[in-house]
Amino acid sequence: MRRSLRRVLIVLSLSFVTAAIAQQAVPVAHNEVLIKNAVVMTVTHGVIQNGSVYIKDGKITAVGRDVTAPGSATVVDAGGKYLTPGIIDSHSHIALDDDVNEATSPVTPQMMMIDAFDYQDKAIYRGLAGGVTTSLLLHGSANVIGGQAVVIKHKYGLNRDAMLFPGAPRSIKFASGENPKRVYGSQGQLPSTRMGNFAVQREALVQAQEYMREWSDYDAKVKKGDKDASAPKRDLKLEALADVLRGKLLVQIHCYRADELLTEIAIGKEFGYKVRAFHHALEAYKVADRLAAENVGIATFSDWWGFKQEAWDAIPWNAVLSMRKGVRVAIKSDSEDFARRLNQEAAKTIRYGGATDDEALKMITLNAAWIIGVDDRVGSIDVGKDADLVLWDGYPLSSYGVPNKVFIDGDIYLDRSLPGFGMPHYREGE
Amino acid sequence: MKMSSVNNRCSFLVGLILILPVFAAGQQKPVALRGGKLLTVSHGVIEHGVLILQDGKIAALGVENSVKIPKDARIVDVSGMTFYPGLIDSESNLGLTEIQAEGSTNDLIETSDEIMPHMHVYDAFHAESELIPVTRLNGITNAIVAPDSKDTLPGQDSFIQLAGKSGEEMLLVRDIAMPLNFTGDQRRNESWEKRKFPETRMGMAAQLRQAFLDAQDYAQHWADYEKKKNEAAGKTDEKDKKPPTPPKRDLKLEALLPYLEGKRPIVLAAEEANDLQTAVSLAREFNLKFVLNHISHSQSVLDYVAALKVPVIVGPIYEDPKPFERYDAVYSLPAQLSKRGVKIAFASFDAHNVRNLPYQAGFATAFGLPYDEALKAITLNPAEIWGMADKLGSLDVGKTANVVVANGDPLDVRTDVKKVFIAGEEIPMTSRQTRLRDQYSGQ
Repeated sequence: MRRSLRRVLIVLSLSFVTAAIAQQAVPVAHNEVLIKNAVVMTVTHGVIQNGSVYIKDGKITAVGRDVTAPGSATVVDAGGKYLTPGIIDSHSHIALDDDVNEATSPVTPQMMMIDAFDYQDKAIYRGLAGGVTTSLLLHGSANVIGGQAVVIKHKYGLNRDAMLFPGAPRSIKFASGENPKRVYGSQGQLPSTRMGNFAVQREALVQAQEYMREWSDYDAKVKKGDKDASAPKRDLKLEALADVLRGKLLVQIHCYRADELLTEIAIGKEFGYKVRAFHHALEAYKVADRLAAENVGIATFSDWWGFKQEAWDAIPWNAVLSMRKGVRVAIKSDSEDFARRLNQEAAKTIRYGGATDDEALKMITLNAAWIIGVDDRVGSIDVGKDADLVLWDGYPLSSYGVPNKVFIDGDIYLDRSLPGFGMPHYREGE
Repeated sequence: MKMSSVNNRCSFLVGLILILPVFAAGQQKPVALRGGKLLTVSHGVIEHGVLILQDGKIAALGVENSVKIPKDARIVDVSGMTFYPGLIDSESNLGLTEIQAEGSTNDLIETSDEIMPHMHVYDAFHAESELIPVTRLNGITNAIVAPDSKDTLPGQDSFIQLAGKSGEEMLLVRDIAMPLNFTGDQRRNESWEKRKFPETRMGMAAQLRQAFLDAQDYAQHWADYEKKKNEAAGKTDEKDKKPPTPPKRDLKLEALLPYLEGKRPIVLAAEEANDLQTAVSLAREFNLKFVLNHISHSQSVLDYVAALKVPVIVGPIYEDPKPFERYDAVYSLPAQLSKRGVKIAFASFDAHNVRNLPYQAGFATAFGLPYDEALKAITLNPAEIWGMADKLGSLDVGKTANVVVANGDPLDVRTDVKKVFIAGEEIPMTSRQTRLRDQYSGQ
C-alpha cells in the first residue's frame, strides 16, 4: 500500500515536471496561408460557396467570400472542395499504450493520463488521416472515479509536448453501470452492484469534503495568526476530488442507462458539482428533457448497440431525439476504428432522425469542443480560432468523404496527395 | 468404381444435412413498384422503371409503360426513389448472438477443440433474434452465417434469408461452406500457463493436415466397406452373402468429406501474406475448392492472389493497418483487387452492425473502387460466389423478389431505406429499435 502510494507520488511529480515543459514548448506558428475556392462549412454561420480562409500565425484571421491576403501568403487552391473545422473526438483511448485503466481500485482520481500518453502511437496518425485534429484521451471505465484526461492535437511527427492542447481545461472520468461492478464484483470486492457503484462514489466525495474542511480549518487558523497550526497531510486523491467539488474539473461520466443518468445528476447536485457530459449515454433519448434542463452534454455513438446489456436499448435515433429536446450532442469514437471516420458516423444522424447537415457536422466539431471545454478555441471556422481545418475529397457528411489535407494551427499535417504516409512533418524512423 | 461408391455414400450423408433451397412463396397479390430509379446490377440502370413482384419472384421489369402491370396488382408509387436487389452479407454471426457480453445469449463457437467441422450453425440459428429485423430494415436480405473464427475449423456456414415463417424457411442452405481460419488467432497461446497444442502456426498446420488425412482414410474405409458389401451381395452362395461390418461413423471426419470432394467451398481466412501462402498450400495439398477471406495485410502479394483465380471476401476494410502501412492500406484493398480482375464481396463480419454493410462498399469507392463494382460486391458477386445467382443478386426476371426501395444511393450513409420486400412480401419497417424510438418520441 505504502509502496504503491510512493509509486503514485513519483509518477505524479514527474507529470508536473512534464506539464511545465509542455507549457514552454508550445510551438510558434509562422505560417500565412490562404485557402481559396472552397465550400466553407463554418458550423456557426452557414456554408460559404466559393469561400476563402486566411490563416496567420496558426489562427483563422479572415473567413468569407472576399478575403484579401498579403502576397507573402501561401495559397492553397481548394478547387471547389469542402472545408470543415477539424474533427474533435470527445471520447478516445488511443495513444495510451494499453494503460487505459488503473483497475486496482474503484477510486483513482489522481491518475493522470498524460503520464501514459504515447505520442508515437500510429493511431494518432490514422485519426488525423480521418480528419481528427483534437482528441480527449480519457481514463477507462473500470473505476467509479477514474483519472484525469489529457487533450491532444493530432500533430503526428512532433514531440510529445508539442502535441498537447495548450491551456485545455482538466477533465476527469467517472463511470457507472456494468463496468465497475464487473471489474470489482468479479474479484469479490465492492462495488458489485449499482448500489455499490454509487455508494463508492458518494463515500469518496464525502472524504473529499472532509479533506477540504481540514484544510480550510487550517487556513483559518493560519489567517488568525496561529503559529502552532499544523498543516493536514496532502492526499493527491482527495486533492483531485476536492477540485471536482470546487468545479475545477470537467466531470465526464461514462453512463448508459436512463435511471443512472438521473442518479448521476442527483449526486452532482448533492455534492455541488456539475456534470459536463455523459459519455455513451445510449438511453439519453428516454430522459432528454431532463438532460437539457441541466445543460449536460452527451458524447454518444451513432448506431453502436447490443454489445452488452446496458447497450440493449440503444437506438440510432438517440442523437437526434436528444438534440431536438435541447441536449448538446456529440458523436465520439471510443475506438481507434471509429476515430478514422467520425464524419460518416455523424452523417448517420441525417438518416436517423433527419439532422440537418449543419447539425450533423456540429456533433463532431463545436459540440465536441464544448464537452472538452475548448469551444472558444476550436470547433468552427471563425475568426480568432485555431486554424484546425480539413479539406475534403468528396462530401464530408457521406460515405465518400476523405480528408485531402488536414491543417492544425495552420500547418499541414496530412496531405493525401503525398506518397508514403502522407505526412509532410514525418518520416518513418525519425 | 471404388470412388463412385464413396461418392454415393457421401451424397447420402450430405443429403441428410443439406436441404435444398426452398423460397417462401407467401406473397398473396402481385406488387408493381412504379416510377423510381431501378438499379438492376446485371444490366444497368433503368430510370422511371417498373418492377413486378409476383408469387415471390420478379415477374417483369423495364421502363415505365413498357411493362404490363397485372390487373390485380397493388401499385406502389416509388417516384423519386431508388430500388435495387436485396443486399447480401458474405459473413455474419446473425442468429448466433443477441447481447455480445452476455454469454448465455451467445452460440458463436466451440473452442474445446480446433477441428470442429461437425458444428453446424443452423443448429444454433435463432430465427427470432431481434438483430434480424434491425438488419433487414437497412436492405440486407441475405447473409452467410458463420461461426466465430477462433478455431481453424470452427464448423459450417449457413446461407439465410432475413425473413420467413421460421428458421427452417430462413435457412436457404443449411451447410453452404466451411471456414478454414489461418490468421494466427487460432493458436492456443493466450498465456504461458494456459498454452496447449497448437500454440504455433506449425501446430495449426500439422493438426489440419492430420484432420484431412484422417478424413481421407475414413473415406477409404467406407469405400472398402461398400466394395465388400457389393461383392457379398453379388455372391450366389447364401453363406457368402453375409454383409461386412460397416466402419464406425465419425461425424467429425464425415463433415470434411464434401470439402475433400470439392462439392462445397472452403472459406480460407488469412490476413498477412505469409499466412495466406501457407493456407493456400494446405488447401492445394488436399485439392480443396476455396474462396479467400480477409487478406487485409497481403498487399505485397496481390498479383499472386489474382493468379489464384478465386474470389475474395474482403475486409472488413476498417481493419487497422499495420504500423508500417499507410492509413489507407486496407481501405484501398478492394480497389486493388478489383483492378486485378479479382471478384470481390464485402462482409460485415459482425452481427449487430450488419446493417452498415453498404457503407463499407461506399467507402471503398472513395479509395478507387468503381461504383458499379462496389454495388456488385454486396449483390451479384456474393450471389455468384455462394452459388445463388440463379435466385439472388440482381433484378432479373425469375429471381427471388428481394427488393429494396430507398430515398437515394444505397451505398451512402445518409440514405434512408423506405421499403423492403423479401420473397415478394413487404416487410414491416419495424424493429425493437423503432418501437423504442416511437415509444419515447411520442409517435
